[in-house]
Amino acid sequence: MADDGALSLRGLTKRFGAFTAVDAIDLDVRPGELMALLGPSGCGKTTTLRMVAGLEQPTSGAIRFGGNTFISTTDEVELAAHKRNIGMVFQSYALWPHMTVHENVAYPLSVRRIASAEIKRRVAAILEMMELSALAAKTIPQLSGGQQQRVALARALVYEPSLMLFDEPFSNLDTNLRANMRMELKSLRRRVAMTGLFVTHDQAEALSIADSVAIMNGGRIEQIGAPQDVYKRPATKFVRDFMGRVLSLHGMYDASGGDSRIRLSDGTLLSCQASRAEPGSRVEVSIRPEYVKFDEIGEPARANTVTGMVEELLFTGDRFETRLRIAGEAVFTELPSDRPWREGDAIRLHLPMSALSIWSILDGK
Amino acid sequence: MTNATAASATARPSFVPRLVRRAQRLAETQTVLFTIVLVAVVLLVLLPVISLIAYSFVESLPNQPLRIGFDAWRHAVESPLIMGSLLNSVLLLLAIHGISLPVAVVIAWVLARTDLPFRNGFEFMFWVSFFMPTLSILMGWILCLDPEYGLLNKLVELLPFVDKGPFNIFSFWGIVWGHLASHSITVKVMLLTPTFRNIDSSFEEASEICGANRFTTLLRIMVPAVTPAILAITLIAMIRAMQSFEIEMVLGTPIRLYVYSTLVYALTGQEPPDFGAASALATIGLACLLPLIFAQRWLGLRRQYVSVSGRMKSAPIRLGRWKLPVLLAICLIVLMLTAIPMVFLGLTSAMKLFGFFQIPEPWTFAHWKTVFADETFRQSFVNTLQMAGGAALVAVVLLSLVAYFSVSSTFKARAALDFLSWLPAAVPGVLFSLGLLYVFLDIPLLRPLYGSMALMIIAAVVGGMTLGTQIFKSTMLQLSRELEEASTVAGATWLRTFRSVVLPIVVPTVLLVGITIFITAAREIASVALVASAGTKTLSLLQLDYMIQGSYGPAAVISFIVIAMSTGLALVARAVGLRIGLRN
Repeated sequence: MADDGALSLRGLTKRFGAFTAVDAIDLDVRPGELMALLGPSGCGKTTTLRMVAGLEQPTSGAIRFGGNTFISTTDEVELAAHKRNIGMVFQSYALWPHMTVHENVAYPLSVRRIASAEIKRRVAAILEMMELSALAAKTIPQLSGGQQQRVALARALVYEPSLMLFDEPFSNLDTNLRANMRMELKSLRRRVAMTGLFVTHDQAEALSIADSVAIMNGGRIEQIGAPQDVYKRPATKFVRDFMGRVLSLHGMYDASGGDSRIRLSDGTLLSCQASRAEPGSRVEVSIRPEYVKFDEIGEPARANTVTGMVEELLFTGDRFETRLRIAGEAVFTELPSDRPWREGDAIRLHLPMSALSIWSILDGK
Repeated sequence: MTNATAASATARPSFVPRLVRRAQRLAETQTVLFTIVLVAVVLLVLLPVISLIAYSFVESLPNQPLRIGFDAWRHAVESPLIMGSLLNSVLLLLAIHGISLPVAVVIAWVLARTDLPFRNGFEFMFWVSFFMPTLSILMGWILCLDPEYGLLNKLVELLPFVDKGPFNIFSFWGIVWGHLASHSITVKVMLLTPTFRNIDSSFEEASEICGANRFTTLLRIMVPAVTPAILAITLIAMIRAMQSFEIEMVLGTPIRLYVYSTLVYALTGQEPPDFGAASALATIGLACLLPLIFAQRWLGLRRQYVSVSGRMKSAPIRLGRWKLPVLLAICLIVLMLTAIPMVFLGLTSAMKLFGFFQIPEPWTFAHWKTVFADETFRQSFVNTLQMAGGAALVAVVLLSLVAYFSVSSTFKARAALDFLSWLPAAVPGVLFSLGLLYVFLDIPLLRPLYGSMALMIIAAVVGGMTLGTQIFKSTMLQLSRELEEASTVAGATWLRTFRSVVLPIVVPTVLLVGITIFITAAREIASVALVASAGTKTLSLLQLDYMIQGSYGPAAVISFIVIAMSTGLALVARAVGLRIGLRN
């Protein structure tokens, strides 16, 4: 299976009338890799997944997996969904309500005409692994959300499919259960090798589960990379904002004298790494909130600090959502909840040079 | 804050009593109205059923002193004709639904879930077929399958070595065919298609991903998932089929193949009428219906499987190389339900001698001229308009009140009212009209109405009561009390609220119910056949007379007129129904 289990999408396009849902995307998933398709709703991620599954026909393009061509519009080749040997976990789980847990899980084996003794053995084994053995005789409405989720996984895994697809599988679970299921899936992957695609709009889920993340927007892929890379080095403003909160300020890019600096409107200078931005042009400088340090006002200021004022504070439990006023700009960010912030307080922020990124205002790069 | 409390406290003494007084006054009018409606419904719905049962124990003839006994029952149990008619009913039921159910399941699935071309058009055609009068469709098929003159038989006879065409519609299987070609498949397709459409599409997709092909998926996932719905629909269809009358009447009577509804009609129509036997038979029929009705209610209460999802619907399943065969098959079925009988009606209405193409100049407008010149036709046309129009008016007033009281009143008896509004759907029309006959003969105050148009109107209203009440109820449930309250709070008077909020919501429904009742009344046979007199005969009854006499030319002309009337109005009703968002 080693190198023949790679999934490749080439020029994959799907149009619904005049609307282009997926716009000529190319994507490669290596054998054994789980890739997350991440993006806001309507970005084309679910449509892409459904085309891989064979539930939706691409307008043009090709999908190949291992030695098989799932579909190719130029060669006019298509493999029906039920012949692709894919495992899929649906957002709604799609567990059949007229069957028991055992029957649901046995179904894929039974449609493959596997001997009934073998079916019994394999279903028992997978139910054991998913800790569902005690529920085998239950019907679906008798199960909790988390249990249904595990049955859906068991049903998708029981026939050892060569490719796994997940369509927002955890979105119907509450927050705690969702975190548990992520852990379970992670440990499951240590026991079962799987190549697959995982669709989600939750960046934390994508970052925590997948080996690589493809961020989609408007039917196109904005960036593909390892979770750490896309978070720390977003290629576009869209990716930067989608992957998490940023604090951003505006200023003038100044590259005179070999140093790269940003001059804010109140004259404050921030050192930064060299950028492709035009010297003298207006730029946006941004930083993830977790890299921001809060210095005491009374102490002598170190380099790369800005001073501002707390305008609004919203307590949300583990932190404060806040609007600051820095160099005349309204800046939205968050503050740690372990300090007694008050509206009207002066505040000094240290922005380490290594954590700053520069975005030219015009092209968003 | 404190100011506001004080203000409302001072306002309360004058405001609240006024409100209470108004509510009391309203309640009084309501109570009076409720009592009137309840009495009317008991008189028109419950009493006929009770008399029906009671009459089976009456041994004396009309105009004789009353004698009670079990004669009729003894006679009924011993009579091979009566028991045979019940057996025929059951056998026909099994044959009709054994064929129509699987066919309808496949058609509904294809319409709801696949990429069949023109599927919306086909769905519309099934809807049209639903409004085609049974008798007219039947007429078309008789012209095709009559053993002597049927055009299909003639066609087969053109073949060498065939002396006699093989088809005979006047037979058991002819009756089965009549049902299949009129409403048996259509009704099921109309009810099942939305059910299939509403099932979460991921059930199907998950099965395909698991490796099952489309047929396995249909068989192992879709059919079991909709089984409760299919069962419920089958039960409704069976209850409806127990009420069927005209097909058995036209095709079965000439060969003395009776089902229980036609035998009830025959027993009351003979000289002297055997009301006792008819009532005993009717009571047995009702008793057979009871388990079906209870089973249907029980299923309705515990419908749990069909899960409706608001998610994006999947792409329809592609039929691939099956597309053409399926398209042709459904085309053929739709044509058989609509166009084919129409073509035969058209041919016949314009032929000098039905089935004889070989005579010189076979075509003529004579039948049309005869019919339009015929005084009976004109009288029947006027009668139809009077009866259907009257029924529509009465139904709108009575049924809207029945619906209002069973939805939003607090009277204890409203459950009884609700139950009574369902009863006419369960009792076959012929039995009901027999019961009405008893009531109007036995209550001296009502006796003058016997044989009058008023009785026809009442019979038609009762016939359409369940459907009409249900349509009103669904609108009134949507009309939440808060809509009225919001208008009142916004400062509108009660009159203004009624004019600007209630009326605009209810008016389309009034129209819809009115038109629906008009259509069902205009083509109704079973529930008016026994209460009609020579002077109140409607077009449908005239058509039935012509058919039984074998005057196919004039019968075909009238069929055309009835079809034009009902489908034309049905299109209006559809437009109104779509506007108020009501389906089915």
